[in-house]
Amino acid sequence: MTLEIQNLHVRTEEREILHGVDLVVRRGETHALMGPNGSGKSTLANTLMGSPSYEVTDGRILLNGEDLTEAETDERAKAGLFMAFQYPATIPGVSVANFMRMAVNAKRDEPIKVKDFGNLLRENMDLLRISRDFTSRYLNEGFSGGEKKRAEILQLAMLQPDFAVLDETDSGLDIDALRIVADGVNAMRSDERGFLIITHYTRVLNYVRPDFVHIMIDGRIVREGRSELADELEDKGYEWVREEVAAGAG
Amino acid sequence: MPASFVEERRKAALEAFEREPLPTWRRSGFWTTTVRKLQLDQLEPRRYEPLDELPEIVRDDLGDEEHAGLIVQRGASVVYADVTDERIVMLPLERAVEEHPELVEPYFARRLPYDEGKFAAGSAAFWTGGVFVHVPKDVKIEKPIQVVWLIDEPETAQWAHTLAVVGEFSECKVREYFIAPDFDGQALHAGAFELYALPGAHVNLAHYQDWGSGEVFDVSTRRVEVQRDAQVKWVPVHLGGHLTKQTLDIVTAERGSDMRHTGLYFTERDEHLDLFTTDKHEEGHTTGDTIWKGALTGDSRASYEGLIHIVPGAQETDTYLQTHQMLLSPSAKGDAIPSLIVETDNVRASHGGTVGELDQEQIFYMMTRGLPRAEAVRVLVEGYFEEVVQRLDDPGLEELIRRRVAEKLHGAEEQVREFIGERAEAGTRQEAAASGGEARRSA
Repeated sequence: MTLEIQNLHVRTEEREILHGVDLVVRRGETHALMGPNGSGKSTLANTLMGSPSYEVTDGRILLNGEDLTEAETDERAKAGLFMAFQYPATIPGVSVANFMRMAVNAKRDEPIKVKDFGNLLRENMDLLRISRDFTSRYLNEGFSGGEKKRAEILQLAMLQPDFAVLDETDSGLDIDALRIVADGVNAMRSDERGFLIITHYTRVLNYVRPDFVHIMIDGRIVREGRSELADELEDKGYEWVREEVAAGAG
Repeated sequence: MPASFVEERRKAALEAFEREPLPTWRRSGFWTTTVRKLQLDQLEPRRYEPLDELPEIVRDDLGDEEHAGLIVQRGASVVYADVTDERIVMLPLERAVEEHPELVEPYFARRLPYDEGKFAAGSAAFWTGGVFVHVPKDVKIEKPIQVVWLIDEPETAQWAHTLAVVGEFSECKVREYFIAPDFDGQALHAGAFELYALPGAHVNLAHYQDWGSGEVFDVSTRRVEVQRDAQVKWVPVHLGGHLTKQTLDIVTAERGSDMRHTGLYFTERDEHLDLFTTDKHEEGHTTGDTIWKGALTGDSRASYEGLIHIVPGAQETDTYLQTHQMLLSPSAKGDAIPSLIVETDNVRASHGGTVGELDQEQIFYMMTRGLPRAEAVRVLVEGYFEEVVQRLDDPGLEELIRRRVAEKLHGAEEQVREFIGERAEAGTRQEAAASGGEARRSA
């Protein structure tokens, strides 16, 4: 059971951003995708979900062997993909609880029983230390940065996807919030689930230890390794990677 | 013998009606509302016998809720009246001018001059049946006071007049419904509505318009006067009508008066909706809050213009108006114009308006959670209206509006999907055009 990205080329209206990305995440594995701003990390995450802002010009996205490259976004979700957004949209007039119930039901043949849903929601909110009055607020409307990120992880916990992409979930969180979110993610890790954690900084990786680290620069994955690569990056910085790549190329 | 104050007005109004041409309302840009396709001379004020039971279409919209009083006017005749709360006076206006002239005369047409154009003159000259509501002082009427204007045959002219007076420190809910089954052919509802909230009164007022797919023209003027320390929450809802021209004015006439004006509209097919609301402050130390939201599908046209008017001397007024419009079809056209006339100093008045399309980012976000596109659109539009619906403070009506909006969206699903799809395909992201302004003046 794998998420496979093969030779992925992606462009916006203006220019090509990803120039052939290959990445394989197996269930049970946690991968970190690191890179400086503008390297294409978020483009990859959004393309995996089928964002209308990006166009795939070459390559494929396979989930458990099924080609999702052209699939509608909701079909990708039903197939088991999930993304926690860096900047989640605000949905006015739709409460957190209502939205969660619609999302949970979207993947089921029979709607979940109201009582079961309530229990599941409370359980996961407790896990993420989210106060109960949260559920009646409109989704992301007036939420602080930390609340938005927690709401994203709450959805992850409710939807139990096979593969989850976390797009800079750590950015903008203070230490306490980061720890809570990291605890939530760790609680979700299992042999049944793969994670792709996208981050600019290494600090989240002190809490959620990845099995593999990939470094992306200018739309290409330029270095790969075990979790120690993140430590090395922490010491030496992205410039070091750039120089190494330049030296290798020259 | 009809009361002379009514007859004199009818006579003067008839002259005005014959003198006035069929109007065309023009505004800057593309906007014109014209009734030249209305064949007024083909219409007649159809008379009907009283009914023992409510027609099905009326029952459907009213639901099972009990009422304090209910009057149904079908065409030109009041066909049903049932007043269960003995504290209120509620009867056809025709009868009220004869049986309770002392209650009617002080207020009758006080805010409705007959010489405001052809249709105002027509209503003043030709109204039949009509509704009079009088709530005495110091009572709380829990159940709604309901009025239904029904047109169920083409070639009907319905000249309407409703007068409501809510006594000092009283509380009540007043609702008017404007409904028609789908039919082929033309009809006219020319409405005149006036409500006076006397000092300290609290009124929840709703107008629910759903004329169906027939060629119903609705040209109406509705005015509400809010007296000292009184409050009126007014919710006009427009869910259907071939051509609708509404002049909706709410006047905070004395100190301490407060108005909340919350409107909603949804247009489809080739419907044409022209709304002009005025939040008029005639005295200082008054407050206002207006919010209107609309959505457009099909080839429909909808224009909302909302004016805040603060007259000389009305200092310490604090008021706010916002209007939003959502386009759900490439061939729908709309505009939303907030405006201000401030003729005094030391007031707070602000306004803002947006015309926009569904946001691709929001749709994408919802789809990543497994919601199909059509459902994402439905949820977004319902969410967009929810803020307004919740301000109704009226579960029965909230449910009716949610249901009708969902039905209309369902009807437009294919078209909305195409529209959204096209947008996504082109990779364009339309930013909402926003206009807004703020006026703060200090002495």
